[in-house]
Amino acid sequence: MSDGLAVELRQVVKRFGEVTAVESVSLQIQHGEFFSLLGPSGCGKTTTLRLIAGFEMPTSGDIIINGEMQGHLPPYQRPVNTVFQHYALFPHMTVAQNVAFGLEMKKVSKDEITRRVGEALELVHLGKMGSRRPKQLSGGQQQRVALARALVNRPKVLLLDEPLGALDLKLRKAMQGELKALQEQVGITFIYVTHDQEEALTMSDRIAVMSAGHVFQVGFPEDIYENPNTRFVADFIGETNFLHGTVHRRGPLAEIAIAENVILPARWASDELPAGSSATLSIRPEKILIASGDEKPPSDGEFVSVPGQVAEVVYLGTDTRYVVRIVDGVQTVVRVQNLEMGNKRFKVGDAVMLHWRVEHGRILKE
Amino acid sequence: MQRLFARYPALRAWLLLLPAATWLFIFFIAPLFIVLVYSFLERGTYGGVVWQFSLENFRRTFDSLYFSTFLRSFYIAAVTTFICLLLGFPLAYYISTRPPQRRSTLILALMIPFWTNFLIRTYAWLTLLRTNTGLINVSLMSLGIIDKPLPLFGNDFAIILGLVYGWLPDMVLPIYATLERLDTSLLEAASDLYASSSKVFRRVIWPLSLPGVVAGSMLVFIPSLGAFVTPAILGGGKSLMIGNIISNQFLAAHDWPFGSALSFVMMAVMLLATLIYFRSTTSEERMQP
Ligand SMILES: Nc1ncnc2c1ncn2[C@@H]1O[C@H](COP(=O)(O)OP(=O)(O)OP(=O)(O)O)[C@@H](O)[C@H]1O
Ligand SMILES: [Mg+2]
Repeated sequence: MSDGLAVELRQVVKRFGEVTAVESVSLQIQHGEFFSLLGPSGCGKTTTLRLIAGFEMPTSGDIIINGEMQGHLPPYQRPVNTVFQHYALFPHMTVAQNVAFGLEMKKVSKDEITRRVGEALELVHLGKMGSRRPKQLSGGQQQRVALARALVNRPKVLLLDEPLGALDLKLRKAMQGELKALQEQVGITFIYVTHDQEEALTMSDRIAVMSAGHVFQVGFPEDIYENPNTRFVADFIGETNFLHGTVHRRGPLAEIAIAENVILPARWASDELPAGSSATLSIRPEKILIASGDEKPPSDGEFVSVPGQVAEVVYLGTDTRYVVRIVDGVQTVVRVQNLEMGNKRFKVGDAVMLHWRVEHGRILKE
Repeated sequence: MQRLFARYPALRAWLLLLPAATWLFIFFIAPLFIVLVYSFLERGTYGGVVWQFSLENFRRTFDSLYFSTFLRSFYIAAVTTFICLLLGFPLAYYISTRPPQRRSTLILALMIPFWTNFLIRTYAWLTLLRTNTGLINVSLMSLGIIDKPLPLFGNDFAIILGLVYGWLPDMVLPIYATLERLDTSLLEAASDLYASSSKVFRRVIWPLSLPGVVAGSMLVFIPSLGAFVTPAILGGGKSLMIGNIISNQFLAAHDWPFGSALSFVMMAVMLLATLIYFRSTTSEERMQP
């Protein structure tokens, strides 16, 4: 049963003529969740959101909102509201009239409209702006009006399409926090579209990573970052090292040969591959410890150790970024925090030892 | 020369304006001034004027004969504008919702009749509408659908038909321009906020297209009010508008001062209409889509 779910997509496909924008997407979104759709430009995020809102009808598959099949219901009969990327505020109405629009359409009584519009504007800190026109507001204020206009209807689900995309970086950061706090306060399910991985990681309860119309991985932010299940996800979220090789030995703890004499143990990110097939080992730069050749790794847990030679050093203020050559043609990036207690510094040409915990290395399909 | 410009920067601007200013003066301001002066003089026996100040011409424009023609012209222009709006808005809306390439084709189709002289097109209507020999009445009678010719010609109906035909594109184009610039996400937002299609139209599309509607109405109303060719041909000499009376004063009655006075009263009415338009919309609204 889909009872407990705010929104469910079952194998939804959307084609525009020849173009397939969304390819068999299935999602289950819980009540009160802050759920993000993350992916590069053109991957079908907006289309997915528009399918839920009812602006587009699926080519096949079902969309269920709050336990009810939506079928071909038009947008105005769905219990969802949308915050548009460019806000789409009505220019011929005041801020208060904009916010009141949905309630008027639902024939809510005059008194209640006045009260709820006031509350909604207070909620987004625009209590005194009700009589202004949208054009007389800053971008950030317009953004809040768009939020108030949607939230005042108390929708089951709020759909947001890159709502912060048009704001400058500083305002964007401030609004991220505000938006997240607001969502927790009102307890409404948010489905949030963004192509900014940092935004998705900091705000979301769960994230769906999309590419080319497919959903590649759904999970908690830590999961997506720490345990990417595909090369695409590992590459799209954060920085990562890819070491190409062949599967040397199978088993729960596999081994992958990245050069003739360099065989590294690691965990499977997804299904196991047969020995001999090509695979990629992915390891995040900040998970690698860099040490001089005679230093031992910490004694807790199982470590992988590889010798190498420093090829490049870039000082980044809080961090130092090393490029270390393992064998000819195979190098890896290591990021070390510049702590006060002083991590040891290395120079180009130094012989070093790289250590990382076995569970941080993940084998991905090519 | 260069040094002169350096010393007087405004000189260059004035020089550049000179051709346009000269043109406006010779063909617009000077004739207007002549007409204004004439309207305060007395008529000469065989046309021309006698240089004798008089307000009689303006008093005569309020004689019931002329005043009722004014009112009739007003009525015909208003009905024409209304019908153009009724036909033009849906047409403009239809065109603006087509894919971009089809839009240009349809706009072109709308403009094509303009390539033929207006007089010729009006005569074409004459051959269709004429009471006893017009194509429509002849066809309907020979098919036995009617046995008396329909009154299609020489009346207000014929004039309004001709005017609507002539000015419809002037209504469609400004409305189309506002509708085309209308942000479709506004319509989606309204629909998302529980507005049905008819509510979306009433609350969003119509108010946002008002500047185009007002501009189109002015573009139709003003030339309709001063129409001269259409009532002369399709009115059959019986149904006249103020434009015909003015031309008669100059060409047939040889009363130039009175013709001038009538022209000025009409211009004043049009000016008033324009002022009302500018008052009813703030400059911001006129700029908006
Ligand atoms: N109305 C349409 N007609 C034809 N193709 C469309 C239409 N809408 C979207 N597409 C195509 O579907 C694909 C997905 O588009 P979509 O707008 O969902 O991407 P997106 O993930 O939101 O990208 P962005 O981050 O750039 O907004 C794209 O290839 C796009 O060209
Ligand atoms: Mg998009």
